[in-house]
Amino acid sequence: MEELPKQQYTDAERQHIFNDEFMPHINAMYNFAYRLTLDGDDAKDLLQDTYLKAYRFLDSFQQGTNAKAWLFRILKNSFINDYRKKSKEPSKVDYQEVESYYNSEEVDRQITPDLRVEALKDMIGDEISNALNALDVDFRTVIILCDLEGFKYEEMAKILDIPIGTVRSRLHRARNLLKEKLSEYAKEMGYKTV
Amino acid sequence: MDSDKSFMKQDCPEKNECLKKLQAILDGEATPEQRTDFLEHHLEECLPCYKNYHLEVAIRQLLKAKCCQEAPQDLIESIKSKCTEKLSS
Repeated sequence: MEELPKQQYTDAERQHIFNDEFMPHINAMYNFAYRLTLDGDDAKDLLQDTYLKAYRFLDSFQQGTNAKAWLFRILKNSFINDYRKKSKEPSKVDYQEVESYYNSEEVDRQITPDLRVEALKDMIGDEISNALNALDVDFRTVIILCDLEGFKYEEMAKILDIPIGTVRSRLHRARNLLKEKLSEYAKEMGYKTV
Repeated sequence: MDSDKSFMKQDCPEKNECLKKLQAILDGEATPEQRTDFLEHHLEECLPCYKNYHLEVAIRQLLKAKCCQEAPQDLIESIKSKCTEKLSS
């Protein structure tokens, strides 16, 4: 995205882009920020930083391209640069390792959680939200982008700076992990799993 | 889809591959042929994949219903005013 030629927008155009192309995504952006940081105050700061950056780099945005993907990419990068480092959560996980672990076919065979639709229907509280939040941030992210925001694999690849094949496999693992969590809850709720 | 399920295959040798296909279809990343082939043929005869399909759909619905938080109104106002300040300066 950075390689694109810079635009020279007039003030009126800037105003229009900001109000009509950026602001409509603010709820989706807040949700993304909240799900990444898992903290209301951090989410507010991250969202505000992102919009200020988007404004500052508005000339790098090309009208007619996907504003939502552009904004999500800025937010994701801000999160990695400014929040992930300083976050105190002891997640010193080697992501490469996690990735290759979950990519082995063996794990796929193990992770076939027997989860039933009926159990999901009874999850009327925070179960799904807690299950999502419990996932490792990289796995959480792909589910948010795909299942909540409806981004295409190609857009996700650009937002996350990863190859499309990685998007696909990471999504698959993420969904298996989410189901695993959900079937734990189902078990607690008294649903039998085979 | 509410037909007698006893005629369906009770096991799918390609279960994991099918799940990947199914997810691509639900993600809107499959070709129309793949869609028809899977949704109209395979699902009719394969019980594990039929169940997986409904599970995948239900999880997506649940995620959308329960995991979308809106931004606080005061935050939206504050961002708007901070940026309009800059826009007019």
